[in-house]
Amino acid sequence: MNAVSPSVQHSAGATPPRAFFTLGAVLAAAGLAAFLAGLLGPQPARAWQAFLINFLLWSAVAQGAVLFSAVTHTVKARWAGPLSGLAAAFAGFFPLSLGCFLVLLIGRNHIFPWLHQDLHGKEIWLNIPFLFTRDGIGFLILYGLGWAYLSQDLKLKTKTAAPAAGLRRLLAGRLPQTEADFQRVQGRKALWGTLYCFAFALVLSLIGFDLVMSMDPHWVSTLFGAYHFVKAFYVGLGALIILAAWVHLRQGKAAGLAASHFHDVGKLFLAFCLLWADFFYVQLTVIWYGNIPEETHYVILRTVTPPWNALAWTVFTVCFMIPFVVLINRRVKTMPHVMMVLCGLVILGIWLEHLLLLGPALNHEAAELPLGIADGLVFIGFLGGMLLAVGTMLKTFPELLPPESGGGR
Amino acid sequence: MPADTQLLGLFKDEAKAARAIQELAPAGFQFRRAHSPIPSHRILEVLKLTKGPVGWFTLAGGIIGFFTGFALAIFTAVQWNLIVSGKPIVSLIPFFIVGFEFTILFSVFGNVVGLLVCSRLPDYRGLETYDPRCSGEHFGVLAACDTGRKGELMDFFQKKGGEVRVFE
Amino acid sequence: MSELTYAEIDQTVLDTLSPPSGGYWLLVMVLILGVLTGAACWAYQIFTGIGVGGQNIPVAWGTYLINFVFWVGIAHSGTLISAILHLFRAGWRNPIARAAETMTVFAVCCAGLFPFIHLGRVWQVYYMIPLPNQRLLWPNFLSPLIFDVVAISTYLTVSALFWYTGLVPDLAVVRDRSTGLRHRIFRVLSLGWTGAHHQWLNYSRGYLFFAALATPLVISVHSVVSWDFALGVVPGWHTTIFAPYFVAGAIHSGLAMVLTLMIPLRRIFRYEAIITMNVLENVAKTIVLTGLIVGLAYGTEFFIAWYSRNPVEMESFYLRVTGEYAFGFYFMALCNVLIPVLLLFKAVRRSIPSLFTISLVINFGMWWERFVIIIGGVAHDFAPHSWGLYAPRPVEYGVMVGSFSLFFLLFLLFCKHLPSVSMTEMKETVSHAG
Repeated sequence: MNAVSPSVQHSAGATPPRAFFTLGAVLAAAGLAAFLAGLLGPQPARAWQAFLINFLLWSAVAQGAVLFSAVTHTVKARWAGPLSGLAAAFAGFFPLSLGCFLVLLIGRNHIFPWLHQDLHGKEIWLNIPFLFTRDGIGFLILYGLGWAYLSQDLKLKTKTAAPAAGLRRLLAGRLPQTEADFQRVQGRKALWGTLYCFAFALVLSLIGFDLVMSMDPHWVSTLFGAYHFVKAFYVGLGALIILAAWVHLRQGKAAGLAASHFHDVGKLFLAFCLLWADFFYVQLTVIWYGNIPEETHYVILRTVTPPWNALAWTVFTVCFMIPFVVLINRRVKTMPHVMMVLCGLVILGIWLEHLLLLGPALNHEAAELPLGIADGLVFIGFLGGMLLAVGTMLKTFPELLPPESGGGR
Repeated sequence: MPADTQLLGLFKDEAKAARAIQELAPAGFQFRRAHSPIPSHRILEVLKLTKGPVGWFTLAGGIIGFFTGFALAIFTAVQWNLIVSGKPIVSLIPFFIVGFEFTILFSVFGNVVGLLVCSRLPDYRGLETYDPRCSGEHFGVLAACDTGRKGELMDFFQKKGGEVRVFE
Repeated sequence: MSELTYAEIDQTVLDTLSPPSGGYWLLVMVLILGVLTGAACWAYQIFTGIGVGGQNIPVAWGTYLINFVFWVGIAHSGTLISAILHLFRAGWRNPIARAAETMTVFAVCCAGLFPFIHLGRVWQVYYMIPLPNQRLLWPNFLSPLIFDVVAISTYLTVSALFWYTGLVPDLAVVRDRSTGLRHRIFRVLSLGWTGAHHQWLNYSRGYLFFAALATPLVISVHSVVSWDFALGVVPGWHTTIFAPYFVAGAIHSGLAMVLTLMIPLRRIFRYEAIITMNVLENVAKTIVLTGLIVGLAYGTEFFIAWYSRNPVEMESFYLRVTGEYAFGFYFMALCNVLIPVLLLFKAVRRSIPSLFTISLVINFGMWWERFVIIIGGVAHDFAPHSWGLYAPRPVEYGVMVGSFSLFFLLFLLFCKHLPSVSMTEMKETVSHAG
């Protein structure tokens, strides 16, 4: 298959403006300040809780968004073409995510409740060196594959022979010259993309078990790992829709994104909303029906006991009921403003869901929800980090933006 | 109208059939029906038809099914009010499964009823003004005209590139 | 495929409805004998008692449940192909959608027999129907077995209606190209379909809704079937992964059965231009995906059993690889996960004998997966005094032969009397490609 055609343009006007980066920096600074203030305050564990929750959420957003690009490439879904680059841009968050993971090591005494518990033999699996090694290797593999995939994708899309520097040189240097080169790059892109999909399932399952489920070390749910990666794709799609809607609103028709793209990705978003809810219901039904105390204590604490029950119903309403009812309507999916609000709401909802899962384990006998301004600021801080990461990728690689209309399907 | 003659123009090309439909009214003939072996977006566009009303039947069925499913499960449970396996008598978590399946089942019933009603099936009388080639590779356009203009209509169809079949 | 004309499509498919050869009738006779064998065994069981089968305490569910789950599983990928891939606008599904949907209907029919067969007093099965009676008895909708009744009945009804709706335009084609008795029968069956614009308008919409409604059934029905096991507390059964695991496994075995049916069909009916190698290759690629999901599920189950440090759970999984039924586990791991990995290689994917062999291997492996799960769980649960083994007995083998014969017999009858490829959808594919 031949390479890019010179008529495909990515307008410089499409890259994020300076205000985007300023906002990102301000938000990130606010979050960092709140986090540090929390660490130095009377309850450092609370700051670490906020850090862990947001690390998991925003890493999931990035991992899920990149998965969209990799999966649609693997199954050769051509409708996803223009959205694919935007999705791959989220890989910019991967280094930040890896950094945050390593920072968790610093706060380990506040984060892992099982450090000081009698684990009845689970110490083989739940110990700091082994956990951080295996999860670290998992992240390295996943993020490495993601960047390798992105790199091949950029090599196929880049046309300018201008000398590359820094990040551009790292990912999109040494462009393919001959037809044979192109074939090789395409083969590698397909390989890394497919491997990313496998790694996504395996690594996110592992993270789900290690960093979420094991916070209550005496509880198991076999589906928890898969639940975590379905959740990641759900929020990843949400973030992609927000980004695509923003690009579309800024540039209008010239953005190269048609109503059909929004309709298709909106349908996929609804499908994963249903799948996420299904994976939740499936676990709930089996645990409720078996009525075994070892399993039910986890669910009862989170769904029936105050203060967590209110949070549980909020999560259910925001992450399932509202998107389900709204997205049944066909036209809604093609209304960018509505979709931005809805997807933003879902990401907030999944943030609360992380609190719902982790909060009771990290705050025993909590009388009220451990949710305050500081937690919100840390959320915003990570959002700022995401804005900076994605903005940097789009600025450095404008090829990731959808080609101007007429250049793509 | 009983005095009308009906002619069926048969076209092998979808575009030609669509154009014939478009130009029937200006030419003073009455369009009756269009036949095609596959669903034709072009013909539907020319006829300015968008989606049919089948969806409303489906939705109605779904709503009925949702409440029926829960109602059945709850009704049967409260007849004897026996605690079984320590579960509450009215337990929504498992009853949701029954409600869900009934929603789908009755939505499908609604869908079938809607399909039959809106398509006016079964309809064996339509076969009287129909040519079997329309299910093969031809697109058929059924038009009516006054008995005197039969020749004109035949010419019209033939000029557009189609064969003609006359129904008296 | 775009070189095909409408006339060629019609002719190729209508040719398959011509009077069959002697070999066909011989095969039909053999299969009828198989069905009669199964019926005879079942009749013997009804008159003698359920004890003629091998199931007993503690393994109260034997091959009847294994076959039930097996056939429901086969049914699911038919709906995947005809409904879900229609929603995804995957054109490669068009040549095989009709046969896949038919496979679904017949597989659910076969599956639906087993809840009756496995009952001790099948003459009292009417108690499961929620109708007022003089004893004021009602079914217990808290029971997963009743969920099964609701789900399987819904699936059978919806699949049959979906199948028939899809057939109507094709029945009209057969009506228009036949004479005599066949013409009269198909005239009635096609409901007077003329392909009129108002018919197509509503038909396309209705078909889309059918696809959208059948899709959640694929997930929910096999989840409900998995809950027959997961809602109990038996080790190896009570695990949250069962619902998606069973659904993935169902699609895995169903896709393999699609290949098993399509490959001979394609050869005998000369469908090579319609069911191209690309179509078979895409089915094979999907099998790789489902095989990997099934493999991930196997691995996760072992990991969580170990992680949980629950001695009963750990022993159950230890015995899965070392116990009396370990051979079943090795069959399932090899046939369901390892061998389908070969389909990653293009040479294997594009070789008809390899595809056919691998499809048979997968179905063999998936049958053994259900064996390992169903028998392995209850054979060795909590209390040592209740441990026991199970082996199927001749009556069960007879019934199994009957069910396989019934499925293939129904499919064979279908092939020769109804169009096994959707002419309408093929024409649509051709018109979009051109």
